[in-house]
Amino acid sequence: MADKTPPEDALSNLRRRVAEARGTGSANSQPPQSAASLALRFGGEFGAAIIVGALLGLGADYFLHTSPWGLVIGFGLGFVAGVVNVVRVAQSYNRANPPDPNAPSIPDDDD
Amino acid sequence: MSNDPIHQFHTNNTVDAQVAELPAAWGVGNLAFNDAALFMLAGTALTAGFFYWAMKPAALVPGRAQVVAETGYNFIHGMVRDAAGDEGVKRFFPFVFTLFLWIFAANMLGMFPYFFTPTSHIIVTATMALMVFLTVIVVGLAKNGLKFFKLFVPSGVPIYILPFVVFIEIISFFSRPLSHAVRLWANVLAGHLVLKVFAGFVPMMAAAGFVGLFGSLLPLTMTVALYALEFLVAFLQAYVFALLTCIYLNDALHPGHH
Repeated sequence: MADKTPPEDALSNLRRRVAEARGTGSANSQPPQSAASLALRFGGEFGAAIIVGALLGLGADYFLHTSPWGLVIGFGLGFVAGVVNVVRVAQSYNRANPPDPNAPSIPDDDD
Repeated sequence: MSNDPIHQFHTNNTVDAQVAELPAAWGVGNLAFNDAALFMLAGTALTAGFFYWAMKPAALVPGRAQVVAETGYNFIHGMVRDAAGDEGVKRFFPFVFTLFLWIFAANMLGMFPYFFTPTSHIIVTATMALMVFLTVIVVGLAKNGLKFFKLFVPSGVPIYILPFVVFIEIISFFSRPLSHAVRLWANVLAGHLVLKVFAGFVPMMAAAGFVGLFGSLLPLTMTVALYALEFLVAFLQAYVFALLTCIYLNDALHPGHH
């Protein structure tokens, strides 16, 4: 059984082992991120959406003469979009850096 | 001047040669070859020169310079493949690799004292971010046609809140070039400001007498530590800029895969 591997499997197996040995596998092409750059990333995503939302609202005011409602609504939608952005960044960060499964769990009220 | 932390960001500290006169109606002054142009050119020449020199032997068993060049190539190649797939590599690898190398070279050149850092000006980073943004729109529309707009319509959203969600997705989409540009710019700018402020404390304290002379060791240590951190930031921000470019370009190839 063990030595009846089809040649294609053996080849892909070898390719995987070579990639592992060279350290060019898909998992380790990312350097660790510094905490400061991560913080700036989250803040930047949040702030950028607010600024863009407010600017779009101001633009709507300018063309539709609805001041100040466009700005007010645009600001609110910008905050919502900022939260969406932050959640997306956090999701992709967690996907790229899965938490250690052997880490001690923090007890909560349900335990 | 010597202790002004903003002085390092002026674009005409060493070179300021007027190249051509622009119409006064444009209101942008005259076209000049200044520090910014000089160091952007230097960064380009440095990368192009290094890769030409390192890859000239193109040996089967690479020399030291060739190993560095090939490692950099493989590093970005793997990153583009992970983030945008094989099609992303085929279409966008030269673009992403160029962006990464240029930002890295500009950041590293800026680490020399008295050198100008092009990436500390938001006009430079915003130009690159808008380049990526427009590429996403043009390639996305050319490749997917109207299906590109599925990017704004997440699947599985009830119809009665869909207009609201679409509006938020549009704001989120337009906020990308802003956060993309600001991240690189703010990191480099803040790093250089802090460095200059701490370095400025050293002569100030040393001039204040015998006790100050010993006290000035503290900001000096801090400056050395921050310098090391800035080298990390120089690399990391070039990498993050390239990685985000890949993620955004992936949306152009596969819209609606959030």
